[in-house]
Amino acid sequence: MKKPYHDLVKRLLDGELRLAELPPDLRAEGEEALRLLGAVDRTPVTLSPAVTSRVMATVRERTRSPARRAWRWLVTPRNVEVRFRIRPWLVAPALAAAAALVLVLARPQTPVSSTNVVFVRFMLHAPGAKSVTVAGTFNQWDQNAAPLIPAGTDGVWTTTLALPVGQHQYAFVVDGRRWVADPAAPAIDDGFGRRNSVVAVTRQGARTL
Amino acid sequence: MSAPWLTVAMVAVAAHLPTRSALASQDVAARLEGRAPAAVVKAVQTIAQDAAARGLPVEPLIQKTLEGSAKGVPAERVVAAVRLLAARLDEARTALRDAGIATPEPEALEGGAYALSAGLSADQVRDLGRVSRPLYDPALTLHIAATLTALGVPARQGVQLLLHMIQAGRTSNELLDLPGEVQASMARGASAAQAAEALDIDEGALGQHGSHGEEGREHQARPHRP
Repeated sequence: MKKPYHDLVKRLLDGELRLAELPPDLRAEGEEALRLLGAVDRTPVTLSPAVTSRVMATVRERTRSPARRAWRWLVTPRNVEVRFRIRPWLVAPALAAAAALVLVLARPQTPVSSTNVVFVRFMLHAPGAKSVTVAGTFNQWDQNAAPLIPAGTDGVWTTTLALPVGQHQYAFVVDGRRWVADPAAPAIDDGFGRRNSVVAVTRQGARTL
Repeated sequence: MSAPWLTVAMVAVAAHLPTRSALASQDVAARLEGRAPAAVVKAVQTIAQDAAARGLPVEPLIQKTLEGSAKGVPAERVVAAVRLLAARLDEARTALRDAGIATPEPEALEGGAYALSAGLSADQVRDLGRVSRPLYDPALTLHIAATLTALGVPARQGVQLLLHMIQAGRTSNELLDLPGEVQASMARGASAAQAAEALDIDEGALGQHGSHGEEGREHQARPHRP
Protein backbone atom coordinates (compact mmCIF):
# COMPACT_ATOMS: atom_id res chain seq x y z
CA MET A 1 0.00 0.00 0.00
CA LYS A 2 1.32 3.44 -0.87
CA LYS A 3 2.26 5.67 2.02
CA PRO A 4 -0.17 8.62 2.31
CA TYR A 5 1.07 12.05 1.41
CA HIS A 6 2.29 14.40 4.09
CA ASP A 7 -0.31 16.93 5.20
CA LEU A 8 1.75 19.78 3.70
CA VAL A 9 1.90 17.94 0.37
CA LYS A 10 -1.91 17.54 0.55
CA ARG A 11 -2.20 21.29 1.07
CA LEU A 12 0.10 21.76 -1.96
CA LEU A 13 -2.25 19.65 -4.04
CA ASP A 14 -5.22 21.65 -2.76
CA GLY A 15 -3.48 24.82 -3.97
CA GLU A 16 -3.05 26.20 -0.50
CA LEU A 17 0.75 26.10 -0.70
CA ARG A 18 3.31 26.49 -3.45
CA LEU A 19 6.15 24.00 -4.04
CA ALA A 20 8.72 26.50 -2.88
CA GLU A 21 6.94 26.88 0.42
CA LEU A 22 7.40 23.21 1.27
CA PRO A 23 10.29 22.23 3.52
CA PRO A 24 13.25 20.98 1.46
CA ASP A 25 12.78 17.37 2.58
CA LEU A 26 9.18 17.36 1.29
CA ARG A 27 9.83 18.95 -2.09
CA ALA A 28 10.61 15.69 -3.88
CA GLU A 29 7.33 14.22 -2.55
CA GLY A 30 5.51 17.38 -3.58
CA GLU A 31 6.97 17.26 -7.11
CA GLU A 32 5.91 13.62 -7.49
CA ALA A 33 2.40 14.42 -6.28
CA LEU A 34 2.10 17.32 -8.71
CA ARG A 35 3.35 15.12 -11.54
CA LEU A 36 0.76 12.45 -10.78
CA LEU A 37 -2.01 14.97 -10.48
CA GLY A 38 -1.02 16.46 -13.80
CA ALA A 39 -1.38 13.07 -15.46
CA VAL A 40 -5.02 12.76 -14.34
CA ASP A 41 -7.57 13.51 -17.08
CA ARG A 42 -9.75 16.19 -15.58
CA THR A 43 -12.17 16.33 -18.37
CA PRO A 44 -15.73 16.14 -16.89
CA VAL A 45 -17.54 12.85 -17.58
CA THR A 46 -20.65 13.30 -19.66
CA LEU A 47 -23.22 10.61 -20.32
CA SER A 48 -25.39 10.49 -23.39
CA PRO A 49 -28.91 11.90 -22.85
CA ALA A 50 -30.38 8.46 -23.66
CA VAL A 51 -28.55 6.79 -20.75
CA THR A 52 -29.56 9.54 -18.37
CA SER A 53 -33.23 9.29 -19.33
CA ARG A 54 -33.21 5.47 -18.98
CA VAL A 55 -31.66 5.63 -15.51
CA MET A 56 -34.08 8.29 -14.37
CA ALA A 57 -37.04 6.33 -15.77
CA THR A 58 -35.97 3.27 -13.78
CA VAL A 59 -35.61 5.31 -10.61
CA ARG A 60 -39.09 6.80 -11.04
CA GLU A 61 -40.56 3.37 -11.78
CA ARG A 62 -39.10 1.89 -8.59
CA THR A 63 -40.31 4.79 -6.55
CA ARG A 64 -43.85 4.38 -7.87
CA SER A 65 -44.10 0.58 -7.18
CA PRO A 66 -46.29 0.17 -4.04
CA ALA A 67 -44.95 -3.33 -3.35
CA ARG A 68 -41.40 -2.08 -3.49
CA ARG A 69 -42.25 0.89 -1.30
CA ALA A 70 -43.96 -1.47 1.19
CA TRP A 71 -40.98 -3.78 1.16
CA ARG A 72 -38.62 -0.87 1.72
CA TRP A 73 -40.84 0.29 4.61
CA LEU A 74 -40.68 -3.18 6.13
CA VAL A 75 -36.94 -3.68 5.85
CA THR A 76 -35.72 -0.19 6.69
CA PRO A 77 -34.60 -0.08 10.29
CA ARG A 78 -36.23 2.59 12.37
CA ASN A 79 -36.48 3.58 15.97
CA VAL A 80 -39.63 2.44 17.79
CA GLU A 81 -40.56 3.68 21.18
CA VAL A 82 -43.04 1.62 23.23
CA ARG A 83 -44.42 2.97 26.41
CA PHE A 84 -46.14 0.70 28.94
CA ARG A 85 -48.83 2.10 31.10
CA ILE A 86 -49.88 -0.49 33.64
CA ARG A 87 -51.50 -0.51 37.00
CA PRO A 88 -49.07 -1.90 39.59
CA TRP A 89 -51.58 -4.43 40.96
CA LEU A 90 -51.71 -6.11 37.56
CA VAL A 91 -48.00 -6.94 37.62
CA ALA A 92 -48.40 -9.83 40.07
CA PRO A 93 -51.07 -11.74 38.07
CA ALA A 94 -49.12 -11.11 34.88
CA LEU A 95 -45.96 -12.58 36.40
CA ALA A 96 -47.99 -15.49 37.79
CA ALA A 97 -49.42 -16.20 34.34
CA ALA A 98 -45.93 -16.08 32.83
CA ALA A 99 -44.61 -18.43 35.50
CA ALA A 100 -47.50 -20.83 34.92
CA LEU A 101 -46.78 -20.76 31.20
CA VAL A 102 -43.14 -21.60 31.80
CA LEU A 103 -44.09 -24.41 34.19
CA VAL A 104 -46.57 -25.92 31.77
CA LEU A 105 -44.32 -25.71 28.73
CA ALA A 106 -41.20 -26.89 30.50
CA ARG A 107 -42.56 -29.67 32.69
CA PRO A 108 -39.59 -31.63 33.96
CA GLN A 109 -39.73 -35.40 34.09
CA THR A 110 -40.19 -36.47 37.69
CA PRO A 111 -36.78 -37.63 38.81
CA VAL A 112 -36.49 -40.79 40.82
CA SER A 113 -34.56 -40.07 43.96
CA SER A 114 -31.89 -42.57 44.88
CA THR A 115 -33.60 -43.20 48.23
CA ASN A 116 -36.65 -44.46 46.34
CA VAL A 117 -34.70 -47.02 44.36
CA VAL A 118 -34.14 -50.59 45.48
CA PHE A 119 -31.94 -53.20 43.82
CA VAL A 120 -33.98 -56.24 42.88
CA ARG A 121 -32.57 -59.53 41.70
CA PHE A 122 -34.48 -61.45 39.05
CA MET A 123 -33.79 -65.12 38.53
CA LEU A 124 -35.17 -67.75 36.18
CA HIS A 125 -34.32 -71.40 35.76
CA ALA A 126 -34.40 -71.93 32.03
CA PRO A 127 -32.12 -74.78 31.01
CA GLY A 128 -31.48 -74.87 27.29
CA ALA A 129 -32.44 -71.23 26.76
CA LYS A 130 -30.24 -69.20 24.46
CA SER A 131 -31.31 -65.85 25.91
CA VAL A 132 -33.46 -64.61 28.75
CA THR A 133 -34.58 -61.05 29.39
CA VAL A 134 -37.01 -59.46 31.80
CA ALA A 135 -39.55 -56.89 30.64
CA GLY A 136 -42.10 -54.99 32.66
CA THR A 137 -43.59 -51.70 33.62
CA PHE A 138 -40.18 -50.61 34.93
CA ASN A 139 -38.60 -50.72 31.45
CA GLN A 140 -41.58 -49.93 29.23
CA TRP A 141 -41.96 -53.64 28.42
CA ASP A 142 -38.84 -53.46 26.30
CA GLN A 143 -37.74 -57.05 25.93
CA ASN A 144 -34.21 -55.99 24.99
CA ALA A 145 -33.66 -53.61 27.89
CA ALA A 146 -32.74 -56.03 30.67
CA PRO A 147 -30.96 -59.23 29.64
CA LEU A 148 -30.28 -61.91 32.24
CA ILE A 149 -26.91 -63.63 32.26
CA PRO A 150 -26.29 -67.33 32.91
CA ALA A 151 -25.17 -68.02 36.46
CA GLY A 152 -23.12 -71.18 36.23
CA THR A 153 -24.03 -74.09 34.03
CA ASP A 154 -27.28 -75.34 35.56
CA GLY A 155 -29.60 -73.16 33.50
CA VAL A 156 -30.07 -70.39 36.04
CA TRP A 157 -30.25 -66.91 34.55
CA THR A 158 -30.05 -63.80 36.68
CA THR A 159 -29.85 -60.03 36.68
CA THR A 160 -30.15 -57.23 39.22
CA LEU A 161 -32.09 -54.06 38.43
CA ALA A 162 -32.60 -50.81 40.31
CA LEU A 163 -36.34 -50.32 40.61
CA PRO A 164 -38.29 -47.41 42.05
CA VAL A 165 -40.58 -47.97 45.02
CA GLY A 166 -43.99 -49.20 43.89
CA GLN A 167 -45.63 -52.21 42.34
CA HIS A 168 -44.25 -53.43 39.03
CA GLN A 169 -45.63 -56.06 36.67
CA TYR A 170 -43.14 -58.12 34.74
CA ALA A 171 -42.50 -61.31 32.79
CA PHE A 172 -39.46 -63.10 31.46
CA VAL A 173 -38.84 -63.45 27.74
CA VAL A 174 -37.09 -66.66 26.78
CA ASP A 175 -35.25 -66.79 23.45
CA GLY A 176 -36.82 -63.52 22.37
CA ARG A 177 -40.32 -64.90 21.84
CA ARG A 178 -41.65 -66.93 24.77
CA TRP A 179 -43.19 -64.85 27.58
CA VAL A 180 -42.99 -66.59 30.94
CA ALA A 181 -44.38 -65.47 34.29
CA ASP A 182 -42.03 -65.82 37.24
CA PRO A 183 -42.51 -69.41 38.46
CA ALA A 184 -41.36 -68.35 41.91
CA ALA A 185 -44.15 -65.81 42.31
CA PRO A 186 -47.92 -65.73 42.01
CA ALA A 187 -49.05 -64.58 38.60
CA ILE A 188 -52.12 -62.72 37.47
CA ASP A 189 -54.00 -62.48 34.19
CA ASP A 190 -52.43 -59.81 31.96
CA GLY A 191 -55.64 -59.13 30.04
CA PHE A 192 -54.24 -60.77 26.93
CA GLY A 193 -54.63 -64.38 27.95
CA ARG A 194 -51.17 -64.65 29.46
CA ARG A 195 -49.93 -64.05 32.99
CA ASN A 196 -47.73 -61.43 34.62
CA SER A 197 -45.89 -61.47 37.92
CA VAL A 198 -45.79 -58.53 40.29
CA VAL A 199 -42.93 -57.29 42.44
CA ALA A 200 -43.73 -54.89 45.26
CA VAL A 201 -40.77 -52.62 45.98
CA THR A 202 -40.77 -50.85 49.33
CA ARG A 203 -37.99 -48.94 51.04
CA GLN A 204 -37.38 -52.05 53.14
CA GLY A 205 -36.84 -54.27 50.10
CA ALA A 206 -38.71 -56.08 47.37
CA ARG A 207 -41.22 -58.93 47.44
CA THR A 208 -42.92 -60.74 44.65
CA LEU A 209 -46.67 -60.64 44.95
CA MET B 1 -49.86 -0.89 26.98
CA SER B 2 -52.95 -0.22 29.02
CA ALA B 3 -54.59 -2.64 31.44
CA PRO B 4 -57.28 -3.92 29.01
CA TRP B 5 -54.57 -4.79 26.49
CA LEU B 6 -52.62 -6.58 29.16
CA THR B 7 -55.72 -8.58 30.05
CA VAL B 8 -56.30 -9.40 26.40
CA ALA B 9 -52.70 -10.53 26.07
CA MET B 10 -52.98 -12.76 29.13
CA VAL B 11 -56.21 -14.31 27.87
CA ALA B 12 -54.59 -14.92 24.48
CA VAL B 13 -51.65 -16.67 26.13
CA ALA B 14 -53.99 -18.76 28.27
CA ALA B 15 -56.04 -19.70 25.21
CA HIS B 16 -52.95 -21.11 23.56
CA LEU B 17 -51.90 -23.17 26.56
CA PRO B 18 -52.25 -26.86 25.68
CA THR B 19 -55.01 -28.54 27.61
CA ARG B 20 -54.29 -31.49 29.85
CA SER B 21 -55.97 -33.91 27.45
CA ALA B 22 -54.05 -32.48 24.49
CA LEU B 23 -50.80 -32.93 26.39
CA ALA B 24 -51.79 -36.49 27.23
CA SER B 25 -52.44 -37.15 23.58
CA GLN B 26 -49.01 -35.80 22.62
CA ASP B 27 -47.37 -37.86 25.36
CA VAL B 28 -49.11 -41.02 24.21
CA ALA B 29 -48.08 -40.51 20.59
CA ALA B 30 -44.48 -39.82 21.58
CA ARG B 31 -44.26 -42.81 23.94
CA LEU B 32 -45.83 -45.27 21.53
CA GLU B 33 -44.07 -44.13 18.39
CA GLY B 34 -42.33 -47.09 16.83
CA ARG B 35 -43.55 -49.42 19.59
CA ALA B 36 -47.14 -50.03 18.46
CA PRO B 37 -48.98 -50.10 15.11
CA ALA B 38 -50.30 -46.73 13.94
CA ALA B 39 -53.92 -47.84 14.29
CA VAL B 40 -53.33 -48.83 17.91
CA VAL B 41 -51.57 -45.55 18.66
CA LYS B 42 -54.47 -43.60 17.22
CA ALA B 43 -57.09 -45.54 19.15
CA VAL B 44 -55.14 -45.37 22.41
CA GLN B 45 -54.59 -41.65 21.93
CA THR B 46 -58.34 -41.16 21.87
CA ILE B 47 -58.87 -43.34 24.95
CA ALA B 48 -56.03 -41.59 26.81
CA GLN B 49 -57.28 -38.15 25.86
CA ASP B 50 -60.69 -39.00 27.23
CA ALA B 51 -59.16 -40.50 30.39
CA ALA B 52 -56.97 -37.44 30.96
CA ALA B 53 -59.93 -35.14 30.48
CA ARG B 54 -61.64 -37.05 33.29
CA GLY B 55 -58.57 -36.75 35.50
CA LEU B 56 -57.49 -40.38 35.21
CA PRO B 57 -53.83 -41.40 34.89
CA VAL B 58 -52.62 -42.11 31.39
CA GLU B 59 -49.46 -44.01 32.27
CA PRO B 60 -51.19 -47.38 32.92
CA LEU B 61 -52.87 -47.12 29.51
CA ILE B 62 -49.53 -46.49 27.82
CA GLN B 63 -47.99 -49.39 29.72
CA LYS B 64 -50.79 -51.76 28.74
CA THR B 65 -50.35 -50.77 25.08
CA LEU B 66 -46.59 -51.27 25.22
CA GLU B 67 -47.09 -54.62 26.93
CA GLY B 68 -49.61 -55.88 24.39
CA SER B 69 -47.53 -54.74 21.45
CA ALA B 70 -44.34 -56.25 22.89
CA LYS B 71 -46.14 -59.55 23.38
CA GLY B 72 -47.37 -59.53 19.80
CA VAL B 73 -51.04 -59.32 20.76
CA PRO B 74 -53.38 -58.44 17.85
CA ALA B 75 -54.16 -54.73 17.59
CA GLU B 76 -57.87 -54.95 18.32
CA ARG B 77 -57.19 -56.96 21.46
CA VAL B 78 -54.68 -54.43 22.68
CA VAL B 79 -57.15 -51.60 22.17
CA ALA B 80 -59.89 -53.58 23.92
CA ALA B 81 -57.63 -54.23 26.91
CA VAL B 82 -56.67 -50.55 27.12
CA ARG B 83 -60.30 -49.51 26.93
CA LEU B 84 -61.21 -51.98 29.67
CA LEU B 85 -58.36 -50.71 31.84
CA ALA B 86 -59.55 -47.12 31.42
CA ALA B 87 -63.02 -48.17 32.56
CA ARG B 88 -61.55 -49.98 35.58
CA LEU B 89 -59.45 -46.96 36.53
CA ASP B 90 -62.64 -44.93 36.50
CA GLU B 91 -64.49 -47.54 38.57
CA ALA B 92 -61.58 -47.72 41.02
CA ARG B 93 -61.62 -43.96 41.43
CA THR B 94 -65.31 -43.99 42.27
CA ALA B 95 -64.74 -46.77 44.80
CA LEU B 96 -61.79 -44.98 46.44
CA ARG B 97 -63.69 -41.72 46.56
CA ASP B 98 -66.50 -43.59 48.27
CA ALA B 99 -63.85 -44.77 50.72
CA GLY B 100 -63.20 -41.15 51.65
CA ILE B 101 -60.09 -40.64 49.53
CA ALA B 102 -61.00 -37.44 47.74
CA THR B 103 -58.17 -37.48 45.22
CA PRO B 104 -56.67 -40.96 44.99
CA GLU B 105 -53.06 -41.19 43.86
CA PRO B 106 -52.48 -42.64 40.38
CA GLU B 107 -50.80 -45.66 42.01
CA ALA B 108 -53.89 -46.29 44.14
CA LEU B 109 -56.11 -46.07 41.08
CA GLU B 110 -53.86 -48.51 39.30
CA GLY B 111 -54.00 -50.84 42.31
CA GLY B 112 -57.78 -50.55 42.35
CA ALA B 113 -58.03 -51.35 38.65
CA TYR B 114 -55.67 -54.27 39.16
CA ALA B 115 -57.80 -55.59 42.03
CA LEU B 116 -60.97 -55.22 39.97
CA SER B 117 -59.40 -57.15 37.11
CA ALA B 118 -58.39 -59.87 39.59
CA GLY B 119 -62.01 -60.31 40.63
CA LEU B 120 -62.60 -57.98 43.55
CA SER B 121 -65.82 -56.01 43.52
CA ALA B 122 -65.99 -52.22 43.66
CA ASP B 123 -67.34 -52.52 47.23
CA GLN B 124 -64.32 -54.58 48.25
CA VAL B 125 -61.98 -52.02 46.69
CA ARG B 126 -63.83 -49.35 48.62
CA ASP B 127 -63.54 -51.29 51.90
CA LEU B 128 -59.82 -51.86 51.44
CA GLY B 129 -59.30 -48.22 50.54
CA ARG B 130 -61.18 -47.14 53.63
CA VAL B 131 -59.18 -49.26 56.11
CA SER B 132 -55.86 -48.62 54.38
CA ARG B 133 -55.78 -44.91 55.12
CA PRO B 134 -53.91 -43.29 56.67
CA LEU B 135 -51.37 -45.88 57.85
CA TYR B 136 -51.17 -48.10 54.79
CA ASP B 137 -50.65 -47.54 51.10
CA PRO B 138 -53.93 -48.42 49.34
CA ALA B 139 -52.00 -49.36 46.20
CA LEU B 140 -50.14 -51.99 48.19
CA THR B 141 -53.12 -53.49 50.01
CA LEU B 142 -55.10 -53.62 46.78
CA HIS B 143 -52.26 -55.40 44.98
CA ILE B 144 -51.98 -57.92 47.83
CA ALA B 145 -55.73 -58.58 47.73
CA ALA B 146 -55.51 -59.08 43.96
CA THR B 147 -52.66 -61.55 44.37
CA LEU B 148 -54.53 -63.53 47.03
CA THR B 149 -57.46 -63.76 44.65
CA ALA B 150 -55.17 -64.83 41.83
CA LEU B 151 -53.85 -67.61 44.07
CA GLY B 152 -57.38 -68.90 44.43
CA VAL B 153 -58.44 -67.32 47.69
CA PRO B 154 -62.07 -66.21 47.32
CA ALA B 155 -62.09 -62.41 46.96
CA ARG B 156 -64.36 -61.90 49.98
CA GLN B 157 -62.17 -64.09 52.16
CA GLY B 158 -58.93 -62.43 51.02
CA VAL B 159 -60.32 -58.99 51.68
CA GLN B 160 -61.57 -60.06 55.12
CA LEU B 161 -58.14 -61.42 55.98
CA LEU B 162 -56.50 -58.17 54.98
CA LEU B 163 -59.08 -56.09 56.84
CA HIS B 164 -58.48 -58.10 60.00
CA MET B 165 -54.71 -57.77 59.70
CA ILE B 166 -54.94 -54.03 59.13
CA GLN B 167 -57.31 -53.63 62.05
CA ALA B 168 -54.85 -55.62 64.16
CA GLY B 169 -52.17 -53.11 63.22
CA ARG B 170 -49.96 -55.47 61.22
CA THR B 171 -47.05 -53.92 59.36
CA SER B 172 -46.99 -53.51 55.59
CA ASN B 173 -44.26 -56.13 55.38
CA GLU B 174 -46.47 -58.58 57.22
CA LEU B 175 -49.24 -57.93 54.73
CA LEU B 176 -46.75 -58.52 51.94
CA ASP B 177 -45.94 -61.91 53.48
CA LEU B 178 -49.52 -63.12 53.07
CA PRO B 179 -49.34 -64.42 49.47
CA GLY B 180 -46.17 -66.33 50.31
CA GLU B 181 -47.78 -67.85 53.39
CA VAL B 182 -50.81 -68.89 51.41
CA GLN B 183 -48.57 -70.45 48.78
CA ALA B 184 -46.59 -72.27 51.46
CA SER B 185 -49.79 -73.74 52.91
CA MET B 186 -50.95 -74.73 49.45
CA ALA B 187 -47.61 -76.47 48.89
CA ARG B 188 -48.37 -78.51 52.01
CA GLY B 189 -51.67 -79.59 50.51
CA ALA B 190 -54.16 -77.00 51.74
CA SER B 191 -56.53 -75.27 49.37
CA ALA B 192 -56.14 -71.52 48.93
CA ALA B 193 -59.32 -70.94 50.92
CA GLN B 194 -58.15 -73.19 53.74
CA ALA B 195 -54.79 -71.46 53.82
CA ALA B 196 -56.42 -68.04 54.07
CA GLU B 197 -58.86 -69.29 56.70
CA ALA B 198 -56.01 -70.63 58.81
CA LEU B 199 -54.21 -67.31 58.61
CA ASP B 200 -57.39 -65.47 59.53
CA ILE B 201 -57.93 -67.76 62.54
CA ASP B 202 -54.36 -67.04 63.62
CA GLU B 203 -55.06 -63.38 63.27
CA GLY B 204 -58.20 -63.72 65.40
CA ALA B 205 -56.27 -65.56 68.10
CA LEU B 206 -53.58 -62.91 68.13
CA GLY B 207 -56.22 -60.22 68.22
CA GLN B 208 -57.84 -61.80 71.29
CA HIS B 209 -54.57 -61.67 73.15
CA GLY B 210 -55.07 -58.02 72.87
CA SER B 211 -51.71 -56.28 73.04
CA HIS B 212 -52.06 -53.85 70.22
CA GLY B 213 -49.67 -51.14 71.16
CA GLU B 214 -46.69 -50.53 68.88
CA GLU B 215 -44.53 -52.58 71.21
CA GLY B 216 -47.01 -55.42 71.24
CA ARG B 217 -47.13 -55.47 67.47
CA GLU B 218 -43.39 -55.87 67.29
CA HIS B 219 -43.52 -58.87 69.61
CA GLN B 220 -46.33 -60.47 67.69
CA ALA B 221 -44.88 -59.90 64.26
CA ARG B 222 -44.56 -63.02 62.17
CA PRO B 223 -41.05 -63.90 61.06
CA HIS B 224 -40.31 -62.59 57.59
CA ARG B 225 -39.67 -64.92 54.76
CA PRO B 226 -35.99 -65.11 53.87
